[in-house]
Amino acid sequence: MKTLANIILVVIVTALVAGCVDENKTPDQPINLVKMGGQDMVQRLGAGEIDGFIGWEPYPAIAITKGYGKALIYSGDIWDEHPCCVVAYDHDWYKQTENADEILNRMALVQLRSVEYINNAKESSSPDHDDLINYSMVFGGMTDREAAELSLKDVAFVYSPNIPGTEKFISKIMDFNIFDSNKWNQSGYVNASDYANNLITNRYVNWALLNREKDLKSLALKEPATVRYGYLVNDVHELPFYVGWQKGWFTDVGINITLSEGTPFQNGAFQMQKGFKTNAVDIGSLGIPPVIIHRINSNDFAIDDARVGVISGMNNEGSVIVVANNITSLADLKGKTVGFPGPGTIQHVLFLMAAEEAGVKVSY
Amino acid sequence: MKNDNKRNGLIINILSLIGFIIFWHVLVALAREQIFNIPFMRLKDVPTPIETWYALVGSMFTRTYGPGLTYGIINHIEASLVRVIQGSALAFIIGVPVGIGIGYSRLIHNILNPIIEIVRNMPPMAWIPLAIFILVSGGSIFIVFIGVVFPIIINTIYGVRSTDSRLIDAARMLGASQAQIVTKVIIPSAFPSIIAGLRIGFGVGWMAIVAAEMVIRSPVGLGYFIWNMGDLGRYAEMVAGMIVIGVIGYFMNISIVLLQKRVIKWVD
Repeated sequence: MKTLANIILVVIVTALVAGCVDENKTPDQPINLVKMGGQDMVQRLGAGEIDGFIGWEPYPAIAITKGYGKALIYSGDIWDEHPCCVVAYDHDWYKQTENADEILNRMALVQLRSVEYINNAKESSSPDHDDLINYSMVFGGMTDREAAELSLKDVAFVYSPNIPGTEKFISKIMDFNIFDSNKWNQSGYVNASDYANNLITNRYVNWALLNREKDLKSLALKEPATVRYGYLVNDVHELPFYVGWQKGWFTDVGINITLSEGTPFQNGAFQMQKGFKTNAVDIGSLGIPPVIIHRINSNDFAIDDARVGVISGMNNEGSVIVVANNITSLADLKGKTVGFPGPGTIQHVLFLMAAEEAGVKVSY
Repeated sequence: MKNDNKRNGLIINILSLIGFIIFWHVLVALAREQIFNIPFMRLKDVPTPIETWYALVGSMFTRTYGPGLTYGIINHIEASLVRVIQGSALAFIIGVPVGIGIGYSRLIHNILNPIIEIVRNMPPMAWIPLAIFILVSGGSIFIVFIGVVFPIIINTIYGVRSTDSRLIDAARMLGASQAQIVTKVIIPSAFPSIIAGLRIGFGVGWMAIVAAEMVIRSPVGLGYFIWNMGDLGRYAEMVAGMIVIGVIGYFMNISIVLLQKRVIKWVD
């Protein structure tokens, strides 16, 4: 009986000690970044399980209009014109498609046309404004018109790729040790600039700019081509694709869009690993960070299976640090939990930059 | 003779492990050279044992990059172990009395047994969504608790019911009270079975914690580490994390067996 009593005592003491060890793990009280999806961020902020999140539109707009929290910092205030989503093509598809350049020229042209349409229609006085809000609600999975309006305000829709921003992002990724060093060495890139310039090309956007005034149908491919397209679920940043698709502009230039297997993808990492790498996606829109990371980390350099190229931008900025209503600064988040989409995402890098500026430590 | 057998067994164990590592390396190397591949698998993306080893060593300790702390595997192990210990301790404290009650009292058995029989068949992973919604914190510990408590209860019931009735009768004839019969006869008799339940429960709890940490997100824990590394395409680190889980599970099992031998001296 004594043995049993001793064991029960040991069990209780161990549990208590374990609890204390866990409690004292973060003596300098960093902000705890916890990875979660966009919907989770909104729900958990509303339930009080987290004290804030850094997310991409439409999730900040949804959380704010539901009254779950408020915008603390817009990503453009952390890093002006930071890169975000892009249009990318699979290199294997490129090699196997005879008229790939012709197709990519027209993809860039539709992107340009869509961005111009959105930027005009964002004005509430525009006759296209209502249509744009409806597109945002459907594509962004929103039921609240006010949230749709708000979600568009901080997103800078663009067609030009952001090469200087991408270089800076790659440097940050290197600073944060996110690349697999062996894979980086295999890649042969000498620095961030070399990598960014190898990844991104302006040639297709330049062709689109030369033809921006022309009627789309007059530029249609001689033979219509089918493209398997991949995009991310409910990501308002990728609205230009949806607008171009709904408006029939891809069809006008002779491109039949079919959605690839797995679309809409839950995140960019998944789209790179299960979409581009397995050749399920020909062309797609996703964040530049997963493109940058997985072209190195997930690539088999013997066959370059995760190689993609970026032909145009989708948006710059468009992310927000949303916090509970009682939080007034990043310092108030010390020792608290903040949702983020995962290591290596643009939101992760932005939050680290904001934390550095505020002199706050972050754990993840 | 006995020592020779033991030594031979150990040699075979070590050779088996070395053989597995060589087999793993050869399989990946052949896939990378496009000589052989298993259909529907991308074996070439699997890290080799050497890559996995370097990844394990490289991610062992916590490092700071800019304002961000990147937890090392040691911190992830500690966090997961603490959760398993907390959940298991709670399961032990609740499970043993419940098991004794059900095993000893017909009335308690009739009240609790139908509930336990239904609930114990729900795998710990099925509780994860509920844990996310109903618990503000400690969801992972709760999942471990669910995994550990039922093996303890079932083994305790078995242990209580296996108590030699002659021992109970003898104690009663010597004037022992009900409480004395329980504490002096039934519990010591059931104890080996209780520890066996704890051993099974710990194994289930360890598997459950990894799944729980993948879904119930916290900044640290082996499940979280594996998921993150997979997301980043750091497959060598991911596999290193998986191996760490296996090795710790193995040593946990060994530790409980040793504990069992040390504290229950009245059983062979």
